[in-house]
Amino acid sequence: MDYKDERIINCSEFEELLTDYLDKTLDKQTHKAVAAHALRCPLCHSLLNEVKDALEVCHELAVPRQPLTRLEARILTMTMPETAMSCSEFEAHLTDYLDGFLPAALFHRWERHAVLCENCTDLPGEVVRSIAACYTYKMEELPVPAGLHEKILQSTIGTTEAKAVKASWTAQFGEWIRSLSLPLPQLAPVAMILMFAFLVFGGTASSGSSFGAIYQKSFELAGQTYKQGANIVLGNGNVIEQNSGAGEPVQGIYVNQEENKQ
Amino acid sequence: MEALKTVTEINGADLVRRARAGDGAAWEEIVTNFSRRIFNLAYRFTSSADAAEDLTQEVFIRIYKTLDQYDAKQGDLSNWLMRLARNLIIDDYRHRQRNPQNTMADDVEDHAYHLHSVNSSAQKEMERRELAAQVQEGIDKLPSDLRTCVILRDIEEMSYQEIVDVLQIPEGTVKSRINRGRIELAKILRRMRVVSV
Repeated sequence: MDYKDERIINCSEFEELLTDYLDKTLDKQTHKAVAAHALRCPLCHSLLNEVKDALEVCHELAVPRQPLTRLEARILTMTMPETAMSCSEFEAHLTDYLDGFLPAALFHRWERHAVLCENCTDLPGEVVRSIAACYTYKMEELPVPAGLHEKILQSTIGTTEAKAVKASWTAQFGEWIRSLSLPLPQLAPVAMILMFAFLVFGGTASSGSSFGAIYQKSFELAGQTYKQGANIVLGNGNVIEQNSGAGEPVQGIYVNQEENKQ
Repeated sequence: MEALKTVTEINGADLVRRARAGDGAAWEEIVTNFSRRIFNLAYRFTSSADAAEDLTQEVFIRIYKTLDQYDAKQGDLSNWLMRLARNLIIDDYRHRQRNPQNTMADDVEDHAYHLHSVNSSAQKEMERRELAAQVQEGIDKLPSDLRTCVILRDIEEMSYQEIVDVLQIPEGTVKSRINRGRIELAKILRRMRVVSV
């Protein structure tokens, strides 16, 4: 069944269409919508029953309700007492009955009990109306209490002036990176390409260099960095101002603290 | 309403991304879009407007702290957020059942005062308001395990499997609690002359 095509009507439309519904002059889809609304809305359901009853009285159609079904049920129970169902068994299967999941044999035993048992005969209708009442209740939503939004904002972002709270650029960038959701292994070649481009465009290696030459250059740079670190640790305090390398990527960064004191 | 829902679904991932980055307006939009639904769910379990308000606030604090866990690929924002809210509200309900001194439920007579209707004529509005109050009163009288299942199935309209996932109990137990809960509720409403023929 395609629920998208199902037409939904409200209570005032229901009232307008009620007479046509009872006269069966509505088109199939509208007829279905009116029937569905009567099932959902307990108030309109009652209205429908009242109008139906009134029409019956007017037309003097005093036909006894389900005489054959009741008689049939009584005969079957008397002739096959082993198929009778207890009230607790009847209740246990009620939702399955409403959902249409009862197997045929159980279904007939259940319906027979519904017809014959005075205690249970009204229960299925009451459960259906009770579910419909829950549906009506769901539609009756409470408004959000005044001041609740402000309380929530105060307890989460520390102010009720939410629009004044702006995201920092770094946080936005972080979220942007996160939204890319690249798996880490895919980042490795990207990082390699970026490093390669940095070395070439930074002038550390000429664009004509082979991959081996770039590797050699990075090896030399690592050696220089090590020397600078060693000098610092040994307290030589020599500021490395010049590099013999072509691109001079390592700039003077260290000042001897003792010289500074002087 | 449908239009609002569609907009929410489309912008859910973007809203969360902006809120995570610290954009107050985005977080406010999430609060505005979902507070009514969460407040009403809390109200159905607490039967008290004050308790529901406090619970809604707690739920939003938890949501704010766990925004990092939202993954748009796992479903739209509405599903994720309502699942989280349901779990928190049910946890709170179970906790209050174990510690009844903590309950903050109002007298059921107050329900009619709190309920408001959106449309329809004055007479019908009054009848609906009364019916809704009676349903809440009936639901309040159900044992807690049946009450949870009835609310989730017949008001929240969740599937059996969704209820199994939320409550972490077997499907057979869920079905039998729904069945028993519906029958008990129907009998309660019959005694209150709400559903009698």
